[in-house]
Amino acid sequence: MNKKTAGSRIGSIVLTVFLFVVAAITIVPFLWMFISSFAPNSEIVKINGGLFPAPTTLDNYVSIQENFNFFRLFANSLFVASVKTIIIIYTSALMGFVFSKMRFFGRDFLFGIVMSTMMIPWAVTIIPQYEMMVQFGWLDSYKALIIPGMISGFGIFLFRQSISGISDELIEAARLDGASDTRIFHSLILPLSHNTIAALAIFTFLWNWEDYLWPFLMITDESKQLLAVGLKAFNGQYGTDYGGLFAATSLAIVPVIIVYVIFQKQFIAGIATGSSK
Amino acid sequence: MKNKDVSARTGRSLLSRIFTLRNMAVTFLVVYFAIFLAYPIYKAFAGSLHNWNPLNETYDWVGFENYKDILTDKLFWTSMGNTAVFLGWSTVFRVVIGLGLALLLSSRLVYAKDTLRGLFYMPTITPLVAVSFVWLWMFDPQFGMIDKVTGLNINWLHDSKWAMPAVIIMTIWKDFGYATVLYLAGLMNLPRDVYEAAEIDGANSVQIFFRITLPLLKSTTLFIVITSMISYLQAYVQFLVMTEGGPGTSTYTISYLIFDQAFNKNNFGVASAQAVVLFIFTAILTLIMFKISGDTEGLA
Repeated sequence: MNKKTAGSRIGSIVLTVFLFVVAAITIVPFLWMFISSFAPNSEIVKINGGLFPAPTTLDNYVSIQENFNFFRLFANSLFVASVKTIIIIYTSALMGFVFSKMRFFGRDFLFGIVMSTMMIPWAVTIIPQYEMMVQFGWLDSYKALIIPGMISGFGIFLFRQSISGISDELIEAARLDGASDTRIFHSLILPLSHNTIAALAIFTFLWNWEDYLWPFLMITDESKQLLAVGLKAFNGQYGTDYGGLFAATSLAIVPVIIVYVIFQKQFIAGIATGSSK
Repeated sequence: MKNKDVSARTGRSLLSRIFTLRNMAVTFLVVYFAIFLAYPIYKAFAGSLHNWNPLNETYDWVGFENYKDILTDKLFWTSMGNTAVFLGWSTVFRVVIGLGLALLLSSRLVYAKDTLRGLFYMPTITPLVAVSFVWLWMFDPQFGMIDKVTGLNINWLHDSKWAMPAVIIMTIWKDFGYATVLYLAGLMNLPRDVYEAAEIDGANSVQIFFRITLPLLKSTTLFIVITSMISYLQAYVQFLVMTEGGPGTSTYTISYLIFDQAFNKNNFGVASAQAVVLFIFTAILTLIMFKISGDTEGLA
Protein backbone atom coordinates (compact mmCIF):
# COMPACT_ATOMS: atom_id res chain seq x y z
CA MET A 1 0.00 0.00 0.00
CA ASN A 2 2.74 2.43 0.90
CA LYS A 3 4.43 2.00 -2.45
CA LYS A 4 1.48 3.34 -4.37
CA THR A 5 2.50 5.83 -7.02
CA ALA A 6 0.38 8.79 -8.06
CA GLY A 7 -0.57 6.85 -11.19
CA SER A 8 -1.84 3.84 -9.36
CA ARG A 9 -3.74 6.06 -6.93
CA ILE A 10 -5.61 7.63 -9.85
CA GLY A 11 -6.23 4.17 -11.28
CA SER A 12 -7.49 3.13 -7.91
CA ILE A 13 -9.95 5.99 -7.67
CA VAL A 14 -11.20 5.51 -11.25
CA LEU A 15 -11.74 1.80 -10.70
CA THR A 16 -13.49 2.29 -7.36
CA VAL A 17 -15.74 5.01 -8.76
CA PHE A 18 -16.60 2.81 -11.72
CA LEU A 19 -17.56 -0.08 -9.43
CA PHE A 20 -19.67 2.22 -7.26
CA VAL A 21 -21.52 3.39 -10.38
CA VAL A 22 -22.27 -0.24 -11.25
CA ALA A 23 -23.38 -0.80 -7.64
CA ALA A 24 -25.63 2.27 -7.82
CA ILE A 25 -27.26 0.92 -10.99
CA THR A 26 -27.75 -2.37 -9.17
CA ILE A 27 -29.65 -0.89 -6.25
CA VAL A 28 -31.52 1.87 -8.09
CA PRO A 29 -34.64 -0.31 -8.59
CA PHE A 30 -34.90 -0.69 -4.80
CA LEU A 31 -34.48 3.03 -4.23
CA TRP A 32 -37.04 3.83 -6.89
CA MET A 33 -39.54 1.41 -5.37
CA PHE A 34 -38.95 2.66 -1.85
CA ILE A 35 -39.18 6.36 -2.72
CA SER A 36 -42.25 5.79 -4.88
CA SER A 37 -43.97 4.03 -1.99
CA PHE A 38 -44.16 7.41 -0.22
CA ALA A 39 -45.66 9.21 -3.22
CA PRO A 40 -49.36 9.63 -4.00
CA ASN A 41 -50.56 7.59 -6.95
CA SER A 42 -51.20 10.68 -9.08
CA GLU A 43 -47.57 11.68 -8.63
CA ILE A 44 -46.27 8.24 -9.63
CA VAL A 45 -48.21 7.94 -12.88
CA LYS A 46 -47.74 11.58 -13.85
CA ILE A 47 -46.65 11.84 -17.47
CA ASN A 48 -43.31 13.62 -17.84
CA GLY A 49 -42.64 13.29 -14.12
CA GLY A 50 -39.06 13.19 -12.88
CA LEU A 51 -37.09 9.98 -12.39
CA PHE A 52 -38.20 9.68 -8.79
CA PRO A 53 -41.66 10.83 -7.70
CA ALA A 54 -41.59 13.23 -4.75
CA PRO A 55 -42.11 11.33 -1.48
CA THR A 56 -44.73 13.28 0.45
CA THR A 57 -47.13 10.85 2.13
CA LEU A 58 -47.55 7.80 4.33
CA ASP A 59 -51.05 7.09 3.03
CA ASN A 60 -49.93 4.13 0.94
CA TYR A 61 -48.76 2.31 4.01
CA VAL A 62 -51.92 3.08 5.90
CA SER A 63 -54.18 1.91 3.10
CA ILE A 64 -52.46 -1.42 2.42
CA GLN A 65 -53.48 -2.66 5.84
CA GLU A 66 -57.11 -1.66 5.21
CA ASN A 67 -57.30 -2.91 1.63
CA PHE A 68 -55.32 -6.01 1.96
CA ASN A 69 -54.89 -7.11 5.58
CA PHE A 70 -51.22 -6.81 4.81
CA PHE A 71 -49.77 -7.40 8.25
CA ARG A 72 -51.71 -10.62 8.67
CA LEU A 73 -50.10 -12.02 5.51
CA PHE A 74 -46.77 -10.66 6.61
CA ALA A 75 -47.07 -12.44 9.97
CA ASN A 76 -48.17 -15.68 8.25
CA SER A 77 -45.13 -15.61 5.98
CA LEU A 78 -42.87 -14.80 8.89
CA PHE A 79 -44.24 -17.74 10.87
CA VAL A 80 -44.08 -20.34 8.08
CA ALA A 81 -40.67 -19.23 6.84
CA SER A 82 -39.23 -19.21 10.38
CA VAL A 83 -40.56 -22.64 11.31
CA LYS A 84 -39.31 -24.15 8.06
CA THR A 85 -35.94 -22.50 8.45
CA ILE A 86 -35.46 -23.93 11.94
CA ILE A 87 -36.52 -27.42 10.85
CA ILE A 88 -34.35 -27.39 7.74
CA ILE A 89 -31.30 -26.12 9.63
CA TYR A 90 -31.71 -28.92 12.14
CA THR A 91 -32.32 -31.75 9.64
CA SER A 92 -29.57 -30.50 7.32
CA ALA A 93 -27.00 -30.26 10.11
CA LEU A 94 -27.97 -33.67 11.42
CA MET A 95 -27.82 -35.34 8.02
CA GLY A 96 -24.63 -33.46 7.20
CA PHE A 97 -23.09 -34.86 10.38
CA VAL A 98 -24.27 -38.39 9.60
CA PHE A 99 -23.05 -38.27 6.00
CA SER A 100 -19.67 -36.78 6.79
CA LYS A 101 -18.70 -38.56 10.00
CA MET A 102 -20.47 -41.93 10.04
CA ARG A 103 -20.51 -45.04 7.95
CA PHE A 104 -23.53 -47.08 7.06
CA PHE A 105 -24.76 -49.35 4.33
CA GLY A 106 -25.69 -47.43 1.17
CA ARG A 107 -24.29 -44.13 2.38
CA ASP A 108 -22.85 -42.97 -0.93
CA PHE A 109 -25.94 -44.07 -2.80
CA LEU A 110 -28.20 -42.16 -0.42
CA PHE A 111 -26.01 -39.09 -0.66
CA GLY A 112 -26.23 -39.37 -4.45
CA ILE A 113 -30.00 -39.17 -4.10
CA VAL A 114 -29.67 -36.13 -1.83
CA MET A 115 -27.55 -34.42 -4.50
CA SER A 116 -29.89 -35.40 -7.32
CA THR A 117 -32.84 -33.77 -5.54
CA MET A 118 -31.27 -30.43 -6.41
CA MET A 119 -31.57 -31.30 -10.09
CA ILE A 120 -35.16 -32.55 -10.15
CA PRO A 121 -37.48 -29.87 -11.56
CA TRP A 122 -40.32 -28.76 -9.29
CA ALA A 123 -42.63 -29.50 -12.20
CA VAL A 124 -42.05 -33.25 -11.83
CA THR A 125 -43.07 -33.64 -8.20
CA ILE A 126 -45.53 -30.81 -7.71
CA ILE A 127 -48.59 -32.37 -9.33
CA PRO A 128 -48.37 -35.68 -7.42
CA GLN A 129 -47.59 -33.81 -4.20
CA TYR A 130 -50.57 -31.58 -4.78
CA GLU A 131 -52.80 -34.63 -5.20
CA MET A 132 -51.26 -36.20 -2.12
CA MET A 133 -52.03 -33.15 0.02
CA VAL A 134 -55.62 -33.18 -1.25
CA GLN A 135 -55.92 -36.83 -0.21
CA PHE A 136 -54.38 -36.16 3.19
CA GLY A 137 -56.91 -33.36 3.66
CA TRP A 138 -54.11 -30.91 4.39
CA LEU A 139 -55.30 -28.11 2.10
CA ASP A 140 -55.55 -24.78 3.92
CA SER A 141 -53.32 -26.13 6.66
CA TYR A 142 -49.73 -25.14 7.33
CA LYS A 143 -48.93 -28.85 7.61
CA ALA A 144 -49.04 -28.91 3.82
CA LEU A 145 -46.50 -26.10 3.65
CA ILE A 146 -44.15 -27.38 6.32
CA ILE A 147 -44.09 -31.19 6.29
CA PRO A 148 -43.23 -31.85 2.62
CA GLY A 149 -40.44 -29.27 2.89
CA MET A 150 -38.51 -30.52 5.91
CA ILE A 151 -35.47 -31.70 3.98
CA SER A 152 -33.17 -29.60 1.81
CA GLY A 153 -30.65 -31.29 -0.47
CA PHE A 154 -28.72 -28.05 -0.69
CA GLY A 155 -28.67 -27.76 3.11
CA ILE A 156 -27.41 -31.31 3.64
CA PHE A 157 -24.74 -30.73 1.01
CA LEU A 158 -23.65 -27.47 2.64
CA PHE A 159 -23.39 -29.02 6.12
CA ARG A 160 -21.64 -32.15 4.87
CA GLN A 161 -18.99 -29.88 3.34
CA SER A 162 -18.47 -27.82 6.49
CA ILE A 163 -18.75 -30.65 9.04
CA SER A 164 -16.23 -32.80 7.18
CA GLY A 165 -13.79 -29.99 7.99
CA ILE A 166 -14.20 -30.64 11.72
CA SER A 167 -11.39 -32.92 12.90
CA ASP A 168 -12.14 -36.56 13.68
CA GLU A 169 -9.83 -36.38 16.69
CA LEU A 170 -12.08 -33.80 18.32
CA ILE A 171 -15.12 -36.04 17.89
CA GLU A 172 -13.17 -39.08 19.06
CA ALA A 173 -12.01 -37.22 22.17
CA ALA A 174 -15.61 -36.33 23.02
CA ARG A 175 -16.59 -39.97 22.54
CA LEU A 176 -13.84 -41.14 24.87
CA ASP A 177 -15.20 -38.73 27.45
CA GLY A 178 -18.42 -40.67 27.22
CA ALA A 179 -20.47 -38.29 25.07
CA SER A 180 -23.15 -39.93 22.96
CA ASP A 181 -23.56 -39.07 19.27
CA THR A 182 -26.65 -37.06 20.15
CA ARG A 183 -24.64 -35.09 22.70
CA ILE A 184 -21.74 -34.62 20.28
CA PHE A 185 -24.08 -33.32 17.64
CA HIS A 186 -25.81 -30.81 19.88
CA SER A 187 -22.93 -29.50 21.93
CA LEU A 188 -20.01 -29.84 19.54
CA ILE A 189 -21.08 -29.98 15.90
CA LEU A 190 -23.88 -27.40 15.99
CA PRO A 191 -21.88 -24.67 17.78
CA LEU A 192 -18.94 -25.22 15.45
CA SER A 193 -21.20 -24.82 12.40
CA HIS A 194 -22.41 -21.29 13.13
CA ASN A 195 -21.25 -19.88 9.78
CA THR A 196 -23.04 -22.56 7.81
CA ILE A 197 -26.11 -22.11 9.99
CA ALA A 198 -26.15 -18.37 9.28
CA ALA A 199 -25.73 -18.86 5.54
CA LEU A 200 -28.32 -21.59 5.24
CA ALA A 201 -30.73 -19.72 7.52
CA ILE A 202 -30.80 -16.68 5.27
CA PHE A 203 -31.09 -18.76 2.11
CA THR A 204 -33.82 -20.99 3.48
CA PHE A 205 -35.74 -18.09 4.97
CA LEU A 206 -35.58 -16.25 1.67
CA TRP A 207 -36.64 -19.24 -0.42
CA ASN A 208 -39.64 -19.78 1.78
CA TRP A 209 -40.41 -16.09 2.01
CA GLU A 210 -40.54 -15.86 -1.78
CA ASP A 211 -42.06 -19.26 -2.52
CA TYR A 212 -45.11 -18.69 -4.66
CA LEU A 213 -46.51 -21.80 -6.30
CA TRP A 214 -46.81 -24.19 -3.37
CA PRO A 215 -48.65 -21.82 -1.00
CA PHE A 216 -50.73 -20.64 -3.96
CA LEU A 217 -51.88 -24.23 -4.49
CA MET A 218 -52.24 -25.22 -0.86
CA ILE A 219 -53.84 -22.18 0.76
CA THR A 220 -57.15 -20.75 -0.39
CA ASP A 221 -58.27 -19.16 2.89
CA GLU A 222 -57.30 -15.49 2.55
CA SER A 223 -56.51 -15.05 6.23
CA LYS A 224 -54.01 -17.94 6.06
CA GLN A 225 -52.40 -16.85 2.80
CA LEU A 226 -48.72 -15.95 2.55
CA LEU A 227 -47.28 -12.66 1.42
CA ALA A 228 -45.85 -13.65 -1.97
CA VAL A 229 -49.21 -15.02 -3.13
CA GLY A 230 -51.01 -12.08 -1.56
CA LEU A 231 -48.84 -9.59 -3.45
CA LYS A 232 -49.89 -11.11 -6.75
CA ALA A 233 -53.54 -11.21 -5.74
CA PHE A 234 -53.31 -7.62 -4.52
CA ASN A 235 -51.86 -6.61 -7.85
CA GLY A 236 -54.80 -8.22 -9.63
CA GLN A 237 -57.33 -6.45 -7.41
CA TYR A 238 -55.78 -3.01 -7.09
CA GLY A 239 -53.80 -3.04 -10.32
CA THR A 240 -53.74 0.72 -10.70
CA ASP A 241 -53.11 1.73 -7.08
CA TYR A 242 -49.38 1.90 -7.71
CA GLY A 243 -48.68 3.73 -4.48
CA GLY A 244 -50.21 0.91 -2.47
CA LEU A 245 -48.44 -1.72 -4.56
CA PHE A 246 -45.09 -0.01 -4.08
CA ALA A 247 -45.67 0.14 -0.34
CA ALA A 248 -46.65 -3.53 -0.14
CA THR A 249 -43.69 -4.59 -2.26
CA SER A 250 -41.31 -2.47 -0.19
CA LEU A 251 -42.50 -4.19 2.95
CA ALA A 252 -41.93 -7.56 1.32
CA ILE A 253 -38.37 -6.67 0.33
CA VAL A 254 -36.99 -4.29 2.96
CA PRO A 255 -37.02 -6.74 5.93
CA VAL A 256 -34.99 -9.21 3.86
CA ILE A 257 -32.46 -6.50 3.04
CA ILE A 258 -32.17 -5.53 6.72
CA VAL A 259 -31.53 -9.15 7.76
CA TYR A 260 -29.02 -9.46 4.95
CA VAL A 261 -27.12 -6.33 5.94
CA ILE A 262 -26.85 -7.58 9.54
CA PHE A 263 -25.63 -11.08 8.65
CA GLN A 264 -23.78 -10.25 5.46
CA LYS A 265 -20.36 -11.47 6.61
CA GLN A 266 -21.36 -14.98 7.73
CA PHE A 267 -23.64 -15.22 4.78
CA ILE A 268 -21.05 -14.61 2.08
CA ALA A 269 -18.49 -16.74 3.94
CA GLY A 270 -21.04 -19.55 4.09
CA ILE A 271 -21.95 -19.68 0.40
CA ALA A 272 -18.36 -19.26 -0.68
CA THR A 273 -17.15 -22.28 1.32
CA GLY A 274 -20.18 -24.33 0.33
CA SER A 275 -19.76 -24.09 -3.39
CA SER A 276 -16.13 -23.39 -4.16
CA LYS A 277 -15.01 -26.94 -3.60
CA MET B 1 -11.16 -45.83 15.50
CA LYS B 2 -12.01 -43.25 12.89
CA ASN B 3 -15.66 -43.29 11.86
CA LYS B 4 -16.48 -46.22 14.13
CA ASP B 5 -20.03 -46.13 15.32
CA VAL B 6 -21.27 -46.10 18.86
CA SER B 7 -23.09 -49.31 18.07
CA ALA B 8 -19.76 -51.09 17.92
CA ARG B 9 -19.11 -50.34 21.54
CA THR B 10 -19.85 -52.90 24.17
CA GLY B 11 -21.87 -52.57 27.32
CA ARG B 12 -24.93 -51.13 25.62
CA SER B 13 -28.38 -52.56 25.56
CA LEU B 14 -29.77 -53.83 22.27
CA LEU B 15 -32.36 -51.08 22.27
CA SER B 16 -29.87 -48.26 22.54
CA ARG B 17 -27.79 -49.90 19.84
CA ILE B 18 -30.74 -49.87 17.45
CA PHE B 19 -32.01 -46.41 18.25
CA THR B 20 -28.80 -44.54 17.61
CA LEU B 21 -28.82 -41.02 16.26
CA ARG B 22 -27.45 -42.35 13.01
CA ASN B 23 -30.07 -45.04 12.52
CA MET B 24 -32.93 -42.72 13.32
CA ALA B 25 -31.63 -39.98 11.04
CA VAL B 26 -31.09 -42.36 8.13
CA THR B 27 -34.47 -44.02 8.60
CA PHE B 28 -36.17 -40.64 8.70
CA LEU B 29 -34.43 -39.59 5.50
CA VAL B 30 -35.27 -42.80 3.65
CA VAL B 31 -38.93 -42.69 4.69
CA TYR B 32 -39.14 -39.01 3.82
CA PHE B 33 -37.65 -39.61 0.37
CA ALA B 34 -39.96 -42.56 -0.25
CA ILE B 35 -43.06 -40.46 0.46
CA PHE B 36 -42.14 -37.04 -0.88
CA LEU B 37 -39.71 -37.94 -3.65
CA ALA B 38 -39.87 -41.52 -4.95
CA TYR B 39 -43.65 -41.82 -4.95
CA PRO B 40 -44.23 -38.42 -6.63
CA ILE B 41 -41.67 -39.22 -9.32
CA TYR B 42 -43.30 -42.59 -9.97
CA LYS B 43 -46.69 -40.91 -10.00
CA ALA B 44 -45.51 -38.25 -12.46
CA PHE B 45 -44.32 -40.94 -14.86
CA ALA B 46 -47.51 -42.97 -14.41
CA GLY B 47 -49.69 -39.87 -14.70
CA SER B 48 -48.02 -38.86 -17.93
CA LEU B 49 -49.49 -42.02 -19.48
CA HIS B 50 -53.02 -41.12 -18.43
CA ASN B 51 -55.67 -38.64 -19.33
CA TRP B 52 -55.64 -37.05 -15.89
CA ASN B 53 -57.92 -34.24 -14.84
CA PRO B 54 -58.60 -33.64 -11.14
CA LEU B 55 -61.66 -31.48 -11.75
CA ASN B 56 -63.81 -34.16 -13.38
CA GLU B 57 -61.85 -36.96 -11.70
CA THR B 58 -60.67 -38.64 -14.87
CA TYR B 59 -57.65 -40.89 -14.78
CA ASP B 60 -57.76 -43.01 -17.92
CA TRP B 61 -54.91 -44.90 -19.52
CA VAL B 62 -53.88 -43.38 -22.84
CA GLY B 63 -50.38 -44.80 -23.31
CA PHE B 64 -48.00 -42.42 -25.02
CA GLU B 65 -50.81 -40.23 -26.37
CA ASN B 66 -49.80 -37.25 -24.16
CA TYR B 67 -46.22 -37.44 -25.40
CA LYS B 68 -47.39 -37.60 -28.99
CA ASP B 69 -49.57 -34.57 -28.34
CA ILE B 70 -46.91 -32.40 -26.79
CA LEU B 71 -44.25 -33.32 -29.35
CA THR B 72 -46.58 -32.24 -32.15
CA ASP B 73 -47.81 -29.17 -30.24
CA LYS B 74 -46.44 -25.96 -31.71
CA LEU B 75 -46.65 -24.17 -28.35
CA PHE B 76 -44.41 -26.80 -26.76
CA TRP B 77 -41.67 -26.17 -29.31
CA THR B 78 -42.15 -22.41 -29.09
CA SER B 79 -41.73 -22.72 -25.33
CA MET B 80 -38.61 -24.84 -25.73
CA GLY B 81 -37.17 -22.24 -28.10
CA ASN B 82 -38.02 -19.39 -25.73
CA THR B 83 -36.49 -21.35 -22.86
CA ALA B 84 -33.29 -21.83 -24.83
CA VAL B 85 -33.08 -18.08 -25.55
CA PHE B 86 -33.82 -17.19 -21.93
CA LEU B 87 -31.42 -19.76 -20.51
CA GLY B 88 -28.63 -19.01 -22.96
CA TRP B 89 -28.51 -15.23 -22.56
CA SER B 90 -29.16 -15.24 -18.83
CA THR B 91 -26.39 -17.77 -18.21
CA VAL B 92 -23.84 -16.11 -20.50
CA PHE B 93 -24.37 -12.66 -19.01
CA ARG B 94 -24.40 -14.00 -15.48
CA VAL B 95 -21.02 -15.66 -16.05
CA VAL B 96 -19.45 -12.76 -17.97
CA ILE B 97 -20.66 -9.98 -15.64
CA GLY B 98 -19.97 -12.11 -12.58
CA LEU B 99 -16.41 -12.89 -13.65
CA GLY B 100 -15.73 -9.35 -14.89
CA LEU B 101 -16.81 -7.73 -11.63
CA ALA B 102 -15.00 -10.36 -9.56
CA LEU B 103 -11.76 -9.68 -11.44
CA LEU B 104 -12.13 -5.94 -10.88
CA LEU B 105 -13.08 -6.39 -7.23
CA SER B 106 -10.12 -8.67 -6.58
CA SER B 107 -7.74 -5.96 -7.79
CA ARG B 108 -5.54 -4.48 -5.08
CA LEU B 109 -6.51 -1.04 -6.34
CA VAL B 110 -10.15 -1.13 -5.28
CA TYR B 111 -11.34 0.51 -2.06
CA ALA B 112 -14.35 -0.64 0.00
CA LYS B 113 -14.47 -4.12 -1.49
CA ASP B 114 -16.80 -5.57 1.11
CA THR B 115 -19.35 -2.79 0.66
CA LEU B 116 -19.28 -3.21 -3.11
CA ARG B 117 -19.62 -6.98 -2.91
CA GLY B 118 -22.51 -6.57 -0.51
CA LEU B 119 -24.29 -4.19 -2.88
CA PHE B 120 -23.77 -6.44 -5.92
CA TYR B 121 -25.19 -9.35 -4.01
CA MET B 122 -28.28 -7.52 -2.81
CA PRO B 123 -30.64 -8.37 -5.71
CA THR B 124 -29.85 -12.06 -5.27
CA ILE B 125 -31.20 -12.13 -1.72
CA THR B 126 -34.44 -10.27 -2.43
CA PRO B 127 -37.69 -12.18 -3.07
CA LEU B 128 -38.31 -12.92 -6.74
CA VAL B 129 -42.07 -12.30 -6.72
CA ALA B 130 -41.53 -8.84 -5.25
CA VAL B 131 -38.66 -7.80 -7.50
CA SER B 132 -40.53 -9.10 -10.53
CA PHE B 133 -43.19 -6.55 -9.67
CA VAL B 134 -40.60 -3.83 -9.25
CA TRP B 135 -39.31 -4.57 -12.73
CA LEU B 136 -42.80 -4.83 -14.14
CA TRP B 137 -43.18 -1.19 -13.12
CA MET B 138 -39.61 -0.29 -14.12
CA PHE B 139 -40.51 -1.34 -17.66
CA ASP B 140 -43.80 0.57 -17.69
CA PRO B 141 -43.77 2.89 -20.72
CA GLN B 142 -45.63 5.66 -18.87
CA PHE B 143 -43.98 5.98 -15.47
CA GLY B 144 -41.28 3.29 -15.54
CA MET B 145 -37.69 4.23 -15.02
CA ILE B 146 -36.13 2.31 -17.93
CA ASP B 147 -37.63 4.40 -20.72
CA LYS B 148 -37.08 7.62 -18.76
CA VAL B 149 -33.39 6.94 -18.22
CA THR B 150 -32.58 5.53 -21.64
CA GLY B 151 -34.81 7.90 -23.60
CA LEU B 152 -36.18 4.88 -25.46
CA ASN B 153 -39.85 4.65 -26.25
CA ILE B 154 -40.43 0.92 -25.98
CA ASN B 155 -43.46 -0.74 -24.47
CA TRP B 156 -41.21 -3.52 -23.25
CA LEU B 157 -43.52 -6.13 -21.79
CA HIS B 158 -46.29 -5.60 -24.33
CA ASP B 159 -44.10 -5.87 -27.38
CA SER B 160 -43.44 -9.43 -28.49
CA LYS B 161 -39.97 -8.42 -29.68
CA TRP B 162 -38.94 -6.87 -26.35
CA ALA B 163 -40.78 -8.84 -23.69
CA MET B 164 -38.23 -11.66 -23.53
CA PRO B 165 -35.20 -9.32 -23.49
CA ALA B 166 -36.89 -7.40 -20.67
CA VAL B 167 -37.33 -10.53 -18.56
CA ILE B 168 -33.75 -11.57 -19.35
CA ILE B 169 -32.45 -8.15 -18.23
CA MET B 170 -34.34 -8.47 -14.97
CA THR B 171 -33.02 -12.01 -14.42
CA ILE B 172 -29.42 -11.00 -15.11
CA TRP B 173 -29.78 -8.09 -12.67
CA LYS B 174 -31.17 -10.46 -10.06
CA ASP B 175 -28.53 -13.15 -10.44
CA PHE B 176 -25.14 -11.75 -11.44
CA GLY B 177 -24.17 -11.06 -7.81
CA TYR B 178 -24.22 -14.74 -6.98
CA ALA B 179 -21.69 -15.43 -9.75
CA THR B 180 -19.59 -12.48 -8.57
CA VAL B 181 -19.36 -13.84 -5.04
CA LEU B 182 -18.51 -17.36 -6.22
CA TYR B 183 -15.83 -16.10 -8.63
CA LEU B 184 -14.35 -13.90 -5.89
CA ALA B 185 -14.05 -16.96 -3.66
CA GLY B 186 -12.54 -18.90 -6.56
CA LEU B 187 -10.03 -16.12 -7.30
CA MET B 188 -8.97 -15.96 -3.66
CA ASN B 189 -8.15 -19.68 -3.67
CA LEU B 190 -5.87 -19.48 -6.70
CA PRO B 191 -2.26 -20.48 -6.01
CA ARG B 192 0.01 -17.42 -5.87
CA ASP B 193 3.19 -19.20 -6.97
CA VAL B 194 1.76 -20.02 -10.41
CA TYR B 195 1.30 -16.31 -11.04
CA GLU B 196 4.76 -15.45 -9.83
CA ALA B 197 6.24 -18.08 -12.13
CA ALA B 198 4.23 -16.75 -15.06
CA GLU B 199 5.41 -13.20 -14.37
CA ILE B 200 9.03 -14.33 -14.21
CA ASP B 201 8.54 -16.07 -17.56
CA GLY B 202 7.35 -12.74 -18.95
CA ALA B 203 3.71 -13.59 -19.59
CA ASN B 204 1.48 -10.54 -20.13
CA SER B 205 -1.79 -10.07 -18.30
CA VAL B 206 -3.93 -11.23 -21.25
CA GLN B 207 -1.93 -14.46 -21.46
CA ILE B 208 -2.13 -14.92 -17.71
CA PHE B 209 -5.90 -14.50 -17.78
CA PHE B 210 -6.56 -16.94 -20.63
CA ARG B 211 -3.82 -19.47 -19.86
CA ILE B 212 -3.94 -19.53 -16.06
CA THR B 213 -6.86 -17.75 -14.40
CA LEU B 214 -9.64 -18.99 -16.65
CA PRO B 215 -8.55 -22.68 -16.62
CA LEU B 216 -8.08 -22.59 -12.86
CA LEU B 217 -11.58 -21.19 -12.42
CA LYS B 218 -13.04 -24.02 -14.49
CA SER B 219 -14.78 -25.75 -11.60
CA THR B 220 -16.33 -22.47 -10.40
CA THR B 221 -17.54 -21.72 -13.93
CA LEU B 222 -18.91 -25.23 -14.29
CA PHE B 223 -20.75 -24.91 -10.99
CA ILE B 224 -22.29 -21.57 -12.01
CA VAL B 225 -23.26 -22.78 -15.49
CA ILE B 226 -24.89 -25.97 -14.23
CA THR B 227 -26.79 -24.34 -11.38
CA SER B 228 -27.88 -21.54 -13.74
CA MET B 229 -29.13 -23.97 -16.35
CA ILE B 230 -31.03 -26.02 -13.82
CA SER B 231 -32.68 -22.99 -12.26
CA TYR B 232 -33.43 -21.21 -15.55
CA LEU B 233 -35.06 -24.32 -17.00
CA GLN B 234 -37.38 -24.13 -14.01
CA ALA B 235 -37.97 -20.38 -13.97
CA TYR B 236 -41.61 -19.35 -14.00
CA VAL B 237 -42.16 -16.63 -11.38
CA GLN B 238 -40.81 -13.73 -13.45
CA PHE B 239 -42.95 -14.86 -16.39
CA LEU B 240 -46.03 -15.30 -14.26
CA VAL B 241 -45.67 -11.82 -12.79
CA MET B 242 -44.27 -9.85 -15.71
CA THR B 243 -45.76 -11.35 -18.89
CA GLU B 244 -48.01 -14.36 -18.26
CA GLY B 245 -46.38 -15.92 -21.31
CA GLY B 246 -47.36 -13.04 -23.57
CA PRO B 247 -47.66 -11.03 -25.63
CA GLY B 248 -49.03 -13.91 -27.69
CA THR B 249 -46.78 -16.81 -26.85
CA SER B 250 -43.52 -14.88 -27.00
CA THR B 251 -42.50 -15.54 -23.40
CA TYR B 252 -43.93 -19.01 -22.85
CA THR B 253 -41.14 -21.10 -21.37
CA ILE B 254 -41.26 -24.79 -20.62
CA SER B 255 -41.85 -24.34 -16.89
CA TYR B 256 -44.45 -21.63 -17.38
CA LEU B 257 -46.17 -23.90 -19.92
CA ILE B 258 -46.29 -26.73 -17.37
CA PHE B 259 -47.67 -24.38 -14.73
CA ASP B 260 -50.29 -23.18 -17.21
CA GLN B 261 -51.28 -26.71 -18.33
CA ALA B 262 -51.48 -28.07 -14.82
CA PHE B 263 -53.01 -25.28 -12.77
CA ASN B 264 -54.86 -23.07 -15.26
CA LYS B 265 -56.09 -25.80 -17.60
CA ASN B 266 -56.12 -28.79 -15.21
CA ASN B 267 -54.47 -31.09 -17.77
CA PHE B 268 -52.43 -32.99 -15.20
CA GLY B 269 -51.60 -35.79 -17.66
CA VAL B 270 -50.22 -33.49 -20.35
CA ALA B 271 -48.41 -31.38 -17.75
CA SER B 272 -46.84 -34.53 -16.28
CA ALA B 273 -45.63 -35.62 -19.70
CA GLN B 274 -44.10 -32.18 -20.23
CA ALA B 275 -42.51 -32.38 -16.79
CA VAL B 276 -41.00 -35.77 -17.62
CA VAL B 277 -39.56 -34.35 -20.84
CA LEU B 278 -38.12 -31.43 -18.86
CA PHE B 279 -36.68 -33.85 -16.32
CA ILE B 280 -34.93 -35.93 -19.00
CA PHE B 281 -33.76 -32.77 -20.69
CA THR B 282 -32.26 -31.41 -17.45
CA ALA B 283 -30.49 -34.70 -16.76
CA ILE B 284 -29.01 -34.86 -20.28
CA LEU B 285 -27.83 -31.24 -20.17
CA THR B 286 -26.16 -31.79 -16.82
CA LEU B 287 -24.41 -34.93 -18.06
CA ILE B 288 -23.22 -33.16 -21.20
CA MET B 289 -21.81 -30.31 -19.13
CA PHE B 290 -19.84 -32.77 -17.02
CA LYS B 291 -18.62 -34.61 -20.13
CA ILE B 292 -17.53 -31.41 -21.91
CA SER B 293 -15.54 -30.29 -18.93
CA GLY B 294 -14.18 -33.76 -18.26
CA ASP B 295 -14.52 -32.87 -14.62
CA THR B 296 -16.91 -34.71 -12.37
CA GLU B 297 -15.78 -32.99 -9.21
CA GLY B 298 -17.44 -29.67 -9.93
CA LEU B 299 -20.47 -30.38 -7.80
CA ALA B 300 -19.20 -32.76 -5.18
